[in-house]
Formats: sequence, C-alpha cells, structure tokens
Amino acid sequence: MSDVILNIRGLEKSFGALKATDGVTLDLRRGEIHALIGPNGAGKSTLIKQITGELRQDRGTITFEGQAIDTLDAAARARLGLARSFQVSSVVPEFTALENTMLAVLGAGGGVFRFLRPALQDRALTDPARFHLEQAGLAGREGVPASTLSHGERRRLEIAMALAMRPRAFLLDEPMAGMGAEGARDLTAILSDLRAEAPILLVEHDMDAVFALADRISVLVYGRIIATGPVAEIRANPEVRRSYLGEEA
Amino acid sequence: MRRVAILNATVFAALVAVALVAHLAGAPYVVTLATKAAIFALAGVGLNLALGYGGMVSFGHAVFFGIGGYVTGIFASHAAAGTPVLTFPFTVAGSAEMLGLWPMAMVVTALAALVIGALSLRTSGVYFIMVTLAFAQMVYYFAISWRAYGGEDGLSFYVRNSFPGLNTFAPLQFFAIAAGLLALAMGFSALVTRSRFGLALQAARANRQRVMASGIRPFALQLTAFVLSAVIVGLAGSLYADLNRFVSPAMLSWHMSGEIMVFVILGGVGRLAGPVAGAGVFILLEQVLGGVSEYWQALLGLLLLAIVLYAPGGILGLLPGGRRHV
Repeated sequence: MSDVILNIRGLEKSFGALKATDGVTLDLRRGEIHALIGPNGAGKSTLIKQITGELRQDRGTITFEGQAIDTLDAAARARLGLARSFQVSSVVPEFTALENTMLAVLGAGGGVFRFLRPALQDRALTDPARFHLEQAGLAGREGVPASTLSHGERRRLEIAMALAMRPRAFLLDEPMAGMGAEGARDLTAILSDLRAEAPILLVEHDMDAVFALADRISVLVYGRIIATGPVAEIRANPEVRRSYLGEEA
Repeated sequence: MRRVAILNATVFAALVAVALVAHLAGAPYVVTLATKAAIFALAGVGLNLALGYGGMVSFGHAVFFGIGGYVTGIFASHAAAGTPVLTFPFTVAGSAEMLGLWPMAMVVTALAALVIGALSLRTSGVYFIMVTLAFAQMVYYFAISWRAYGGEDGLSFYVRNSFPGLNTFAPLQFFAIAAGLLALAMGFSALVTRSRFGLALQAARANRQRVMASGIRPFALQLTAFVLSAVIVGLAGSLYADLNRFVSPAMLSWHMSGEIMVFVILGGVGRLAGPVAGAGVFILLEQVLGGVSEYWQALLGLLLLAIVLYAPGGILGLLPGGRRHV
C-alpha cells in the first residue's frame, strides 16, 4: 500500500442525468507514469477536477499519501503537493515566466502575507523559480511575459510551475495539446525526466507520447475505467481496441 | 522600470509645484484646490489597491471616505464642546489632534472594511459591485437619519484639528500634511504591490484558478487588500473633513464612490501615480469648465468615455514612460 501515492476508490459524479464519473477506481504508484486515455467526453477532465478539488465528487473517496483529502479545497490539496497543469494553458498572462513560476514557489513555500520586500529581489523565490524554468527547458526566457511566449513555451511554463509546487504527484492534463511533432518530442523527454521527481497521472491524446512514456494505462469510456494495465496489455486488449484505439491501432 | 519611477515622481512633483507657485503668487484659494486634489488622490491611491491591483470593482468606497470623515468630525465636535464621545462601556474623550484622529479613523474604517469585504467577497463581478454599493447606501441613509450628528444637514466643526509644529490653518502647511500623507501612501502602495503579497494579489486578479492551483486562497488576499485600501481611503476622508471643517452624508453617497473611481480610471488603473493625475485633472476640469457651464460633468463623461475606449491606461498611459511594464 505504501507504494500507492494517490488512491481513488469508487468515485461517482453526476451532472443531472449524465453520469460523468461512474465508479472510477484508480491508483498512482511511486515512480510511475500512469496514463489516462479515452475518447472526448469520456470524463477525463471531470475526473482530474475531482482529484484537484475543483469539483466535489458525489460518492467515493480520494486518498493522497495515506490522507483522505475529500474535504480539502483545491488550494489545500495543492499545498500537499498535488501539482496540476491545465488542459488549456492557465498562467498569468501579464506576468513574466519568472513571476509565474515565483507564484508557484510562493504557494508551495508559504509566506504570502509579506508586504514590504520586493518579491523580485527575494532569492528564496527567484532562485527556485529560475531553477525550475531551466528544468522545463525555458532557460533564457525568464523575463518574457507569458502572453508573448509561444504556445509550446507556455506548456513548458506550466510544467515549470508544477515543478515549483514541491510536487508529491503530478496531474498533467493534456500537456502536449496543440504542440507540433517536434515540440511534443522535446516535451516527452522532459516528462520522462519528471518521473524521477514524482509520479505522474497523465491525461493525453498523443498516443505516441503515451506509449513512449506510460508505465501503465487506464482507459476511460463513458465515465468508467474499462481497462487498466501495462502498455502492451492495453494495446492488445480487444475491448480497448474496439472502443477507443480502433481507429488508430 | 526606472522610467515609471521618474514618471510617478514627476506627477507628484507637479502637484507640489502648483501649490508652491500658487502660494508664492498669493493665491491661497489655488493652494486649497491643490490640497483637495491631494486628498482625492490619496483616496484614489487607496481605491487603486482594491480596484487596480486586486481587481475588486468596489462601488462603495465612499463609505470608507465618509466613515473617516465622520470619525474626525464627531471627535472634533466633542472636543470643541468638551463632552465625551462615549460614556459606555468606557469613556472616550473627543480629540482635536490629527495624530490622534488619524489612527482612530483608520481603525474604524478597517473594522467596517473587514465586515463589508468579508460579505461582499462572497460574490464577484456585477454582484460584488452591487453589494458594495448597497453597503455604502445603508451607511449613507443611516448618517442622514443620525440626528445627534447633524443628520441630513451634516456636522460642522469650527476649528481645524491641529498637528504638532504646524499651523493647519495656513493653506500651504495643510497642503504639506496632505501631500506628505499622499507620498507615504504612494510609497506604501509601491512596496505592497511589488511584495510577495502583491504578486499573489495581482495573480488572483488575472487568474483565480491558477492561484488556487498554486495552493493560495484568493479570498484572504483580496480581503486584506480590501481592508488596506479602505484604510487609506478612510485617512483621506479624515483629511477631507478637516479641509472643509464639515462632514455630511454626501461624503458617503454613491456620487462620491463614483468620483473616487473616476480619479482612478481617468489617471490609469493599476498605476501608482494614476489617481494623482486623475484627481488633479478632475479638479482642474471642475474649475475651468465648471465656470463655463454647470453641465461640465457631461464633458467629463465624454473624456472618460474617450479614455476607456482609446486609452485604457488612462492619462498616465499616454505620458512618456507610462507604458505598462509588468
């Protein structure tokens, strides 16, 4: 059990008559990349939001490092080290890359209520922020406003911010979305290195990336997990091929 | 970065220069106008913390301006009459000392802002605007019906409160007090907006979801900024009461809330010296156009419209060095 960092049991969430999450049971283990795949509308984002605390489940429990987190809000879960990236880049556009990353350092380290010292001269914020930007492949782009970063760079900025959260687990919601083939290859290498920092629950449509990165794959269809297992097993699973991979594999 | 600092200092220096030149030219009336501009600017600097940096469009900041004014008026009138302000549960004497009145006005506004902010911040957008307006109107009508302190007619006190070592009746000396507090508030605002708190506050304005995902709750940030903002506006209200030696419910009305907003928007939202430029131009227009026609506010409306449509950075955004940096 100690091997399991994030444990989701019997999660259910309905919006009116629609069962968006229908009894999902899933775990994330130390050192792994666990990919969550499924067709559009399968409920992947709804599931991620319940894990981050943006949505509250109707039934079921979520345990993070042995602690039930069902009653915690998104900010409290983030402080426990549940670091997420967003499907649509969600950064502060008028902040520079450095300032955005400093925000994540600040959230993880605490001490928000300090009013007098300039944050940009606070090396307790800027040093880790620079380090994580470099880790995410953004060295030299610290001073650029996020609004003028390229799409790919903004995806990397999200990774840098997740790294700055002192993560115990990553929840990455389609980090490759909208990236070109070359950008996706670079990011695949970065994500592969991230595994050493903390395990990753990876929602991704890019099957090349998923097959290259994942240790295990879970397939979500209509709010249910129809299969979980190692990559080879999932690729061979007839039900998965029929309901999801059919058109690609 | 440097150019912005120079611009801010220049705008402030221009206000001081107007007062000095007017004094030397023997036009105390103009010195008093500059004092009024400095006090309005102080209120604007306060509102700018909430509105510009915190993204909280409060349409009720007159309540803090008025509370600051009434605290000053009430204590001053009791001091003049030699009666205590309170006898129960403990005795509080009146005061005619600015150094005693300011902290009093600031503490009372802080408490009011804590309550109003905590309730208003449960809403956002248009509802936040309406709730802050509703609170201000409640206090406005309360003041109108509060006979003990003048009700609708307001409350006069005949002696301007004193400040050690200065003659507060001398226009230039009173201006120096107002301008000094304005400079302090601008310095404080500059520090706060660049601090850790300021970083998180501005992030919460731009992207609430991201701030939550970073482990920070926007509510506590915004409430703190709301209270800090109100305290500065309350201090401005105290000075304004002393300027006129009179307080009335008009200080609490939504017109006043709107005017403070106009200073900020005219000068430049989220810019340190924006409210100084805004208040200065407002007073200037009031004097120049007000002499031409009593409908001068229609022209002010046109100017505001032009600013909002074509120069969202306000007057400051149009000046060299005023381009947005962060």
